[in-house]
Amino acid sequence: MSSAVTSTMASDMMPLLAALFLTPILASTPIAFAWAFRKDAPWARKLPILSVFGLFVSFLITLYILFNVEEGTKYVYPWLPAFGIDFVFIFDYLSKYMGALTGLIAFLIGVYGLEYMKDDYRLGWYWFCFNLFTASMLLVVYSDNLLMLLIGWEGLGIASWGLIGHWFRDDDELSYVGNMGRKVFGLNYFWSPSLGGWRAISTIRVGDMPMFFAVAAIYAFAGNLNISEIHWETLFETLGAAGTAILLIAFLMGPFTKSAQLPFSEWLMTAMTGPTTVSALLHSATMVAAGTYLFMRISWYIEPWAFSNAGMDAVYAFVLFLGLISSLYAALLAAGMWERKVLLASSTMSSLGLMFAAAAASKWLGEFAVEVSFWYLIVHAFAKATLFLVAGHLIHVTHDRFCGGDTEVAKKMKLTFLVTAFATISLAGIPPFTAYWVKSAMDEVMHGLIEHGMALPLTLLITISIIYSAFLAKFLSLNFLKGKKVHLHLHGGGLMGAAYTVMVSMLLVLLYLIMTGQEEVAGEFFHEGFVSTSLAVGAAVTVSYFFALMKPSIPQLSTVGRVLSDRLYMPFLNDLIVPKIGWVLVAIVDVCNRGVDFFFHQAIPAFFESASKSIRKIQKGYLASYMRVTLAAVMVLLVISSIVGW
Amino acid sequence: MELIASLLIISLASIASLKYRWLGWASLVGVVILVPSQPAILLLAFLIILNMLSLELMKRSYLAGVDYGLVAFMAAATIYAIYSTDLSSLVAAFVAVSVPTYMLVMASEERARTDTGIKYITFMVLATVLFLIGVALAVFASQTGDETLYAIAFVAIVVGIAIEVGVAPFHQWVPDVFVSADAIPISIIASLAKFVPFIVAFKILSATYMGNGTLIMVVAFLAIISMFAGNIGALTSREHSRILGYSTVANMGYILATFVILSKPEFLWIAFAGALLQLFANSFGKVGFFAAIKDGGSSPALTYTLALSFIGMPPLMGFWSKVLIISSLAYSGFIWLAVIMVINSAISVPYYIRLARELGAKDIRGLAGLVVALTVIATLLTLLPGWFIDSAKALTAFIGLGGV
Repeated sequence: MSSAVTSTMASDMMPLLAALFLTPILASTPIAFAWAFRKDAPWARKLPILSVFGLFVSFLITLYILFNVEEGTKYVYPWLPAFGIDFVFIFDYLSKYMGALTGLIAFLIGVYGLEYMKDDYRLGWYWFCFNLFTASMLLVVYSDNLLMLLIGWEGLGIASWGLIGHWFRDDDELSYVGNMGRKVFGLNYFWSPSLGGWRAISTIRVGDMPMFFAVAAIYAFAGNLNISEIHWETLFETLGAAGTAILLIAFLMGPFTKSAQLPFSEWLMTAMTGPTTVSALLHSATMVAAGTYLFMRISWYIEPWAFSNAGMDAVYAFVLFLGLISSLYAALLAAGMWERKVLLASSTMSSLGLMFAAAAASKWLGEFAVEVSFWYLIVHAFAKATLFLVAGHLIHVTHDRFCGGDTEVAKKMKLTFLVTAFATISLAGIPPFTAYWVKSAMDEVMHGLIEHGMALPLTLLITISIIYSAFLAKFLSLNFLKGKKVHLHLHGGGLMGAAYTVMVSMLLVLLYLIMTGQEEVAGEFFHEGFVSTSLAVGAAVTVSYFFALMKPSIPQLSTVGRVLSDRLYMPFLNDLIVPKIGWVLVAIVDVCNRGVDFFFHQAIPAFFESASKSIRKIQKGYLASYMRVTLAAVMVLLVISSIVGW
Repeated sequence: MELIASLLIISLASIASLKYRWLGWASLVGVVILVPSQPAILLLAFLIILNMLSLELMKRSYLAGVDYGLVAFMAAATIYAIYSTDLSSLVAAFVAVSVPTYMLVMASEERARTDTGIKYITFMVLATVLFLIGVALAVFASQTGDETLYAIAFVAIVVGIAIEVGVAPFHQWVPDVFVSADAIPISIIASLAKFVPFIVAFKILSATYMGNGTLIMVVAFLAIISMFAGNIGALTSREHSRILGYSTVANMGYILATFVILSKPEFLWIAFAGALLQLFANSFGKVGFFAAIKDGGSSPALTYTLALSFIGMPPLMGFWSKVLIISSLAYSGFIWLAVIMVINSAISVPYYIRLARELGAKDIRGLAGLVVALTVIATLLTLLPGWFIDSAKALTAFIGLGGV
């Protein structure tokens, strides 16, 4: 599949591709400018429709690409000819689906945002960042060239900072994460939007820096930046085992931080300080998915199953276990969470870990593992986006960011309840709903690892699946069935409801594709669903789901729950240890600064002053002493010269 | 023939000027008839006119009008020295430029400054003696092939001009004399009088040099001492004349450094052009600053331009001269010397800027203003230095000694 890539210079695609990336950005500039200059004008609050229209245009183009561009096509446009670097757009199996997924989800969340954000105080900022974010993600998706991909990658970073910290005034309790005023060992255990934005961008930078160097190293050693064209095997041979390991880890630092794997998970939890639409977008098809997507994409072309390299093999094993452990950690956290959005954030992190693990298993089980990982990304994206949109709606009507709601909520918000129930059941992996088939394939992948001497991955996956299913049921139960009594402020909500209904219905489309085998790859998953392991896991997951639905909270375990909802005290790494290291660096830099200051402002002037004074001290004014010095110097030089001449 | 006519005119004009001072200007005619249509020489003529013009800033002098004649005499000797390849003429030119300065240095508006004169003359006599001995020995040694003797002769010549122009460590007279003498005569000593020693030494040394690299190192060593001593000494000096004295020491170091080109004769023209342009840059700057000192200040635009030219700011004259010198140093393999020169240019920045700031606190006015303005125009004449380099290259045809 990957070898069938053809390269074309197609000028007729140029306008379409330009429109794909530029329309969302251009369509959001009117609101950005309007907000800067004419915020109070009555037409200003109508401009977001234009932004959403921009997203819609992008979505249509991604659909056109999905259905009309032949798989494996590349479009090349010259960029830096002197360095052999071009704009290369690639339309392969991964990018075609991923692009359409991004386009659709961004558009639906945009529609939802029209209602959700209508009374916001900073619409220009919001919509511009939102659309910039979508365009950046599309650029990441369709880039074959790593340098071009980095443009989108950085666009994601900056736009996510803007969106997470959108409510920068930090004046609304609803936008915080954590219990207000709570302190643990003297550390503030609640996070404001502005702090959340900062934590996001600063964590991501930590990963981006090594990634830049890795890209530079790839260019230096391979002479090419196009993922599909680099001879990875030759490159790895050139670098040797240690070199390959360093290069891959440095490169994957970008995906690890973007996709919030341990120990870089904290920013994702406090990213919940952003508007819910942002959380939905970040946590489904973009940003965090960008990391896993990039890992899948390079694995797709590295083809680690086709050859062996000690360094590469070690890195893939590392990613496999890092993914699984991050996933387990996050699943446990989610089980203990009380905040609606933070619960979902933990569950996202858990899913991302599974994606990394499944894609890394491709080293031993081939391309199929990447496909499983990718399809899980798609299913997860629709389900998670739905759940976030629901959570946003619930926060709107209850004015509470903590889980709460009894059967009255389910009665009054029937559609929301049904959508949530369907989304959780579909995502949990209960047969015969959508995720079950993909999860079955994943079970098979991990099962396949046993033959390679690794039994732990399957054990971990089953454990994670059971916990995962339980906390999804807990989310449903605590918000609609068995939660505390809440007061509902029901008004409007039609547009929001429509958005998440369409979103969740996409899971049915996927189910259809899997069951009928219309989609070749997804059709394969259908057979995996009837393997005994899969059926057993499916049964266990179902039991766990219904158990948690009946008993969403267990008071006897409240201490454990507290530790889990405190995220196993991981914030101490982010908010205490790393800053301390930072302050040490600051102190060192300060000492160096003082040294430089002293050197240039004190030492050098002092040296020249004393040198100057001693030179001027020769001028005593007495001719006799001058002559003595001069004649002596003449004599010395003449003596030297006669020695030299000899 | 022209030389005799020229000297005659200068003498007559000098005698006449004893009666009427302004008749001293007639001696300029004697210079003019010597000036060929060579751009570099025309630039020299411009300098000479500025020198004579600045003499007008002295209300009176014990020399009456003869000072014009003396300057004209020095000018005639300088032009002659550039064109002559005859050993005796060159030696004569050296003395002819040196001796008039003995009298000029004592000139002031009140009385003859004999104490300054004695200090100056003592050094000059020593310089002239060493130089003459050195020249005689050098010519003799190069003909007999006696390397030991040539080494002594080489050093004697170099030390001779070093004392004459004020290269460290033979520079003790410079700051003292610059401060105690009147600004105008010292501006002539700091400008016009510096050309001949270097040109004559250039000609004699390049004709007789026997390939002893250590001697080149002695020259480089002296140049470095002079750069550092001059620039560092100027940093903490207060009197403006003293700063300019140390600046002279530094500039003479830069020019002396070009002598290392002796080891690479094929690039001689670059070094010669650089040395000549540096002499011009130094001269115009000194004439301008001393005129400003005499008048108690000048306009900041003018003083800053002069200072920036001294520092070597493109595209002023001082920049191009340093570029040429540094290229010649690089071509002769003395990269480290070029680096030291650049460092020295940096060290010089504070005191030149200070000088520009302190002197540039007034408006332009009168004759002094005119002189300063003209020197600034001179530093701008080489915005595009091609014409000067070509001209200097043409003049290298006269480097060498006929009949030796």
